Amino acid sequence: MAILEAKGVTRVYETRGVETRALRGVDLAVEAGEFTALAGPSGSGKTTLLNVFGALDEPTEGSVFLDGEDLSSLSPAELAARRLHKLGFIFQAYNLIPVLSARENVEFVMELQGVAPAERRERALAVLAEVGLGELAEKRPTEMSGGQQQRVAVARAIVSRPKVVLADEPTANLDSKTASQLLDLMEQLNRDHGITFLFSTHDPLVIDKARRRVRLHDGRVVSDERA
Amino acid sequence: MPLELRLAWRNVWRNSRRTGLTVAATVFAVFLVVFFVAMAAGIHEKMIEDSVRVNSGHVTVTGEGYLENRTLEQHLVLGPELRDRLASLPGVRGHAPRVTAFGLLSKDSATQGAIVLGVDPEREGTVSTLPERLRRGRFVSDDTARGLVLGERLAENLGARVGDTLLLYSVAYSLEMAYELFEVVGVMRLPAPELDRALAVVTLADAQEFFAFGERVTEVALLAESGDRVEAVQTAARAALAGGGNGSGPVEVHAWNELMPELEQLILLDDAGMYLMLAILVVVVGFGILNTILMSVLERTRELGVLLALGLRPGAVFRLVYAESMLLAGLGLVVGMALAIPAVLWFQANPVHLGGEMAGALELFGMEPVMTWKLKPMNPIGSVMTILAVAALAAAYPAWKASRGRPVDALRSA
Repeated sequence: MAILEAKGVTRVYETRGVETRALRGVDLAVEAGEFTALAGPSGSGKTTLLNVFGALDEPTEGSVFLDGEDLSSLSPAELAARRLHKLGFIFQAYNLIPVLSARENVEFVMELQGVAPAERRERALAVLAEVGLGELAEKRPTEMSGGQQQRVAVARAIVSRPKVVLADEPTANLDSKTASQLLDLMEQLNRDHGITFLFSTHDPLVIDKARRRVRLHDGRVVSDERA
Repeated sequence: MPLELRLAWRNVWRNSRRTGLTVAATVFAVFLVVFFVAMAAGIHEKMIEDSVRVNSGHVTVTGEGYLENRTLEQHLVLGPELRDRLASLPGVRGHAPRVTAFGLLSKDSATQGAIVLGVDPEREGTVSTLPERLRRGRFVSDDTARGLVLGERLAENLGARVGDTLLLYSVAYSLEMAYELFEVVGVMRLPAPELDRALAVVTLADAQEFFAFGERVTEVALLAESGDRVEAVQTAARAALAGGGNGSGPVEVHAWNELMPELEQLILLDDAGMYLMLAILVVVVGFGILNTILMSVLERTRELGVLLALGLRPGAVFRLVYAESMLLAGLGLVVGMALAIPAVLWFQANPVHLGGEMAGALELFGMEPVMTWKLKPMNPIGSVMTILAVAALAAAYPAWKASRGRPVDALRSA
């Protein structure tokens, strides 16, 4: 069974009376354990599709299934609960909580899940060590480089052991060396922990690393290749 | 500490200058509210105290219908049983029987209308300050019959001095003409000009004899242990006396505000003006908190969207923003109270004695030229509740706005 599935998903935005069709009847299934890139030029609909899969946005038409459950029937609070327990997010701009340290940022999701303080501290420190930031656990985001912040974001996304990590342009703000190290890290997490990764990207480095490449153009899937 | 509260506390200090300004405005408002409410309470209590201690007492027991007619017909008989019941009333500092009637005082060619007040020289001091207000001579005494103490202005209008003899004439209880010579034994200055121009004090025994009144009195003035206990004393007096069986005849029990409604209205008017000013101040503080929280929410649209995206429920985002507002108000309250309460307690212990024109103006209204403060428990409690309520109201819109947004919209914002 697919962990993520879009069936005939269309997303239309309306701004000041002007309609923009970001997705046009997309059908796509992502299987558990895949390392998939959604590629395409700007405006192709990859971020929109990622948001729809992440229960952050709802389709105008069609259905989205997460772990076999139709998201369209859920309330905002239920959607929040699905995001909390089944999904991890990595954003282009890192989006760490600035008033929390690296460890507290990583602990945040576990705290929402009700994990006991001692356990979440232990797990947070272990994951930070795994992404190479053991020394910076008590630093705040403003005291870290972009690459370090994105590693914290990765740690935050995987620490709660989600079924899927959705990463929106995760390397867009990083230099090529840092981006490569980050991709190696995510590939290793995918391999070692079986976490499903779905990226939106137009970075050739990410597309090369992906084992499945789904190309979008004008809101439609134009190719779907497996390495 | 709950997650929302911990995040709120850190968020409050993200922009310490803005937080400092908002807290400072709240501190200023809290200080002014506590200080001015305590000042008004002190001044009003002093006004009441000054008035009841030259006039009615906190509570007055009268014959039925005396308040409407104020004649000797509406009397009560001051027998032993009534005295016993008055003496055993709880919360009463003192009680004093009186005969109040109207008469004319003449000296040579001058004649003045007067309020003739017969007092028990031993008991009067337990209720009123009349014996302390002497400027010349001595107070009336049971040792000397036909002694008279005049208000200073009344004495001036009559051209009377201590030792002079005056003719008092009036209508007795028996409806016969009553006239008698009295010797001026003292002159007192009363704060209320209308009393100073009219009051003539004699002993209760002389008044009862002059008006052919027997053991009757027109009223018994009671002084409560404090201004806060007036209602309790009135209730107790009603319960003890109104049932009859005390040999006094039907009685009524009135509190000072029924006897001096104009004083109560003056206080209400003064309170209304003050509370209006303080309400404006509190509303301004409310807008300050609203501005701070709303700016903070608008600046953090994306961040709040991330919290929602990560799985924080909309209700928790609402609580987070609310907690920030309450923390701002709470900080202002703590600092404001820490400054205001000691200041008020200091002024409560050290009343300010006024001089010059201000003193003259207050004396004209029958008040001593002294500003006093009184911190009642409801003052800080009410201030805390008001500021928290305003903060809660101010936070409602930003908190609602923060919690109702869709994560995707918030993440798209710059």
